[in-house]
Amino acid sequence: MIPAAVGYHRATSLEDALEALAEPDAKALAGGQSLIPVLKLRIARPSLLVDLGGLELRSIERDGDELRIGALATWKDLTSSLELDSSGLAGLADCASSIGDLQVRNRGTIGGSLAHADPASDMPAMLLALGARVETRSPDGERSLSVSELLVGPFTTALGERELITAVVLPVPPPGSGSGYASVEHPASGFPLAGAGALGRPDGTKAVAITGVGARPQLVPESGSLDDVEVYGDRFAPESYRRHLAGVVAARALEIAQVRSEGRR
Amino acid sequence: MSESLIGVARPRIDAPDKVTGATRYAADGYVHGLLHARLVLSTEAHARIRGVEKDAALQLDGVVAVLTAADLPVVKSGTDRAAEPLARDEVVFAGQPVALVVAESEAAAEDGVEAVVVDYEPLPAVVDLEAAMTPGAPPARLSAEEAGGDLESIHAGVDKGEDDAEEEQLSANVLDSVTRGSGDVAAALEASDAVVSGTFRTPWTYQAYIEPQVSTAWLEPNGTLVVSTSTQGSFVTQNELFRAFGLDFDKIRVIAEPLGGAFGGKFALVEPLAAGAALALRRPVRVALTRTEDFQATNPASAQITELRIGGRKDGTLTGIEARMLVDRGSNAGWGVEGITSLLVAGPYRWEAFDLRGYGIQTNRFTFGAYRAPGAPTAAFALESLVDELAEELGVDPLELRLKNALVEGDTAVSGNPVPTFGAVEVLERIREHPLWARRDSLPEGEGLGLAAGYWPGGNEPAAAVCRVDSDGILTVITSAADMSGVNSGFQVIAAEAFGMPPDRVRVVTTDTASGPYAGASGGSKVTYTVGAAVLKAAEAAREKLLAAASQELEIAPDDLEVVEGVVRAKGAPDRSITVAELSRKALRFGGRYEPIEGHGGSAQTRGAPSVAAHLSHVRVDRETGEVELLRHVIAQDVGRALNPALVEGQMRGGATQGIGWALFEELAHDEDGRLLTGSFLDYAIPVAERVPPIDTLIVEVPAPDGPFGAKGIGEAPVVAAPAAVVNAVAAATGVRMRRLPMTPPRVWAALTGTEEPS
Repeated sequence: MIPAAVGYHRATSLEDALEALAEPDAKALAGGQSLIPVLKLRIARPSLLVDLGGLELRSIERDGDELRIGALATWKDLTSSLELDSSGLAGLADCASSIGDLQVRNRGTIGGSLAHADPASDMPAMLLALGARVETRSPDGERSLSVSELLVGPFTTALGERELITAVVLPVPPPGSGSGYASVEHPASGFPLAGAGALGRPDGTKAVAITGVGARPQLVPESGSLDDVEVYGDRFAPESYRRHLAGVVAARALEIAQVRSEGRR
Repeated sequence: MSESLIGVARPRIDAPDKVTGATRYAADGYVHGLLHARLVLSTEAHARIRGVEKDAALQLDGVVAVLTAADLPVVKSGTDRAAEPLARDEVVFAGQPVALVVAESEAAAEDGVEAVVVDYEPLPAVVDLEAAMTPGAPPARLSAEEAGGDLESIHAGVDKGEDDAEEEQLSANVLDSVTRGSGDVAAALEASDAVVSGTFRTPWTYQAYIEPQVSTAWLEPNGTLVVSTSTQGSFVTQNELFRAFGLDFDKIRVIAEPLGGAFGGKFALVEPLAAGAALALRRPVRVALTRTEDFQATNPASAQITELRIGGRKDGTLTGIEARMLVDRGSNAGWGVEGITSLLVAGPYRWEAFDLRGYGIQTNRFTFGAYRAPGAPTAAFALESLVDELAEELGVDPLELRLKNALVEGDTAVSGNPVPTFGAVEVLERIREHPLWARRDSLPEGEGLGLAAGYWPGGNEPAAAVCRVDSDGILTVITSAADMSGVNSGFQVIAAEAFGMPPDRVRVVTTDTASGPYAGASGGSKVTYTVGAAVLKAAEAAREKLLAAASQELEIAPDDLEVVEGVVRAKGAPDRSITVAELSRKALRFGGRYEPIEGHGGSAQTRGAPSVAAHLSHVRVDRETGEVELLRHVIAQDVGRALNPALVEGQMRGGATQGIGWALFEELAHDEDGRLLTGSFLDYAIPVAERVPPIDTLIVEVPAPDGPFGAKGIGEAPVVAAPAAVVNAVAAATGVRMRRLPMTPPRVWAALTGTEEPS
């Protein structure tokens, strides 16, 4: 449980970070809640860690009709942000509070988690349902990708070698909307065996996304049918159970969203 | 007279150091010139070792040596872990230590481990327990040798039963079979009003102590091997090292450092590695397992399969019991729990006829080791499930059925021995009085209550202790018993009460094999009952010395003196007195006239002091997801006498919690090639605090006649029937009987929906 020898650079600016990442096999370090364990197990063996911890990318702000979440905002920041204190955004705080334990939530960041692209990560389902995008910076400039464009597969993203997520941006749901997150967790890891984020708008339209069951988070088609959702089984939770569970958590997340949009809570 | 000190709740004496970080554990000791060892673990469950390529590792900075079996000066033959700390030419489980990389730092040792290449010739892996015992099954070990069963007697003072005399076609993987029988079971079941049966499965289960296994060994200039280690027993470890390395006995000194948890798993497992490396390299070596290594390379509890059938009559009498219990020993050829588990499966009940069989089977999974009440939780899971089913079939109240058949003193147990003082009736009656029991038929939909009872026979081993008053007037209790589960705090109150001293003027010291009075390993629920009895006698002997000195000093006959709170005074004339401190100063000085106030005491308990516990578990089951939520748990346990109720309740809570782990969470699973799939706390679930409900602890006191102040060993009984209570609660909530532990959400859901249960 001791990492292999690795270099360390604490970035002083985004530009500095991108420059440091030019070194072959360099790896960006945000909150370290995913990267440090795999370093300790020597599953990852980067040459250099570029620590982003000193960068000013942590604010959570309302910007017109959008909510901008800095890539280095922690789960704790999300659970305590007043910007999320509305029925339409409450699902974000639900979801953040279901991640890991308090120590993990104090350190883990939304950008780091998305870049790690664990297929069982909670937040992508909530972000998909809310229609979020990520903004990135690389030496080639800035770009914006949807969450489904970003998350290509297990532990695989569309990010370039020297491309960093700088923010998560999502449209603020119209007043009278409600959002919610529901999951059933693996009893050891706490990762969802199935998790669902849901958004219900006052016009009756809704969006639901599922995580934890397949290679990447998936939006449920408008019909609500889960038949086409890709579901993997494993020793602990077979495919039939996970598929069933996807339906259960989707219904529960929608119920929470519904209750919130009707102002019942 | 002052109030009795017995039965008063007070903090553990080791607590301040532990919570402030002042305790020095085995991994903390500073040793000059220390080398660090890391293990190369087998990636194969069963293979021949063709060769170990060391060169690349040896070229790394800081790597001092790469040791294989041939490099360790082991003289013992056999295949147990002390005789074979590193695999010789055949690996028999994935995770078995194959080589040690020894380096100047832990990081360098870890680098070295990555660079070692082991060339394996794979052999068929024996992973399935039932297939392993079938005639014609491939052997789990080719190089089978008779191994010593030295650790066998540690865990319980029960006989093993008789070797099976009947001819049964079994493979060579069946290392042992045990049969106990009495009466005609077939006839008894035939004449029953109801017969229920089932096959019950429990997995390999990890002890999950907080502190992974760790041991440091070095040689003194005179050649003495010193081992500072996290162990349950210093003398048992000294014996193991003596047999392993053939040194002079007095050239081995074992120091049992404060334990960071053990639960049965810390018996001479890493000491032979550290000692072997220190002897080979003539330098101090520490083996401190990482959690990953600890999961793979240590000795968890056996997987078991139990086929059980019981019968009863409408009047609520239990008739016959028939059990066939398969115990997975993994690579452990020395001992297994087939004897104790097939004894305990009869539970705390009377039977008219019984036929109980246990089989110890070798496979290519782990090395079996002890875990809190070895073989008992799995036995109680099977029996208590069926007792509930039988009660339903017979139309009898499940608590009344248990009460009617509960063993009482003077009955004959299935062991053939008379039942000593036994609290089964008392604990069941306490549960019956609990308000939760009255609610069992009026719970909301989806909730259920489950009852179960179980016992642990306790263990015996001769032990000795010393009590001495030092110059500061404080009574020091000296034993060699590893301070597990707070036994030192029990010694404190025993000595204080027997001597006449306030508890805060009694200190307890655990000493090492070079100087300490004898004590067996801490385990088997025997320390308080045996070492505690020795402490009592030692304190009484010291008190005699005290009274002799005081008698001369005060010119009063000893019989007319009493000792109250550290003061010796004349009965009826309390101002004629002298303090213990003053007397000790008069004794412990040049030209003093009194013998040191010091006593030695020993015990050799022969009668058993079983502890029985009954549990009531309240659950809610989510029928949509299969999740089981524990709402409340109640445990009533006969503890003999609660020397310190705070500690007793801690044991009851801890046992119940580990039982909840058996019921809902814990499973070491392998793939079909015998590789561990759940080798970290990301995969292996334990009952973390947020999943443990409020636990009501009901202390029942049926004094043990030979125990110190009536106390007995209580550490193991509380885990025994806890899983069964949760299983019965799930059945009450859902109508579904779970036959496999743990009851994970996917398994419960499969059972609820009648779909195929995940294996």
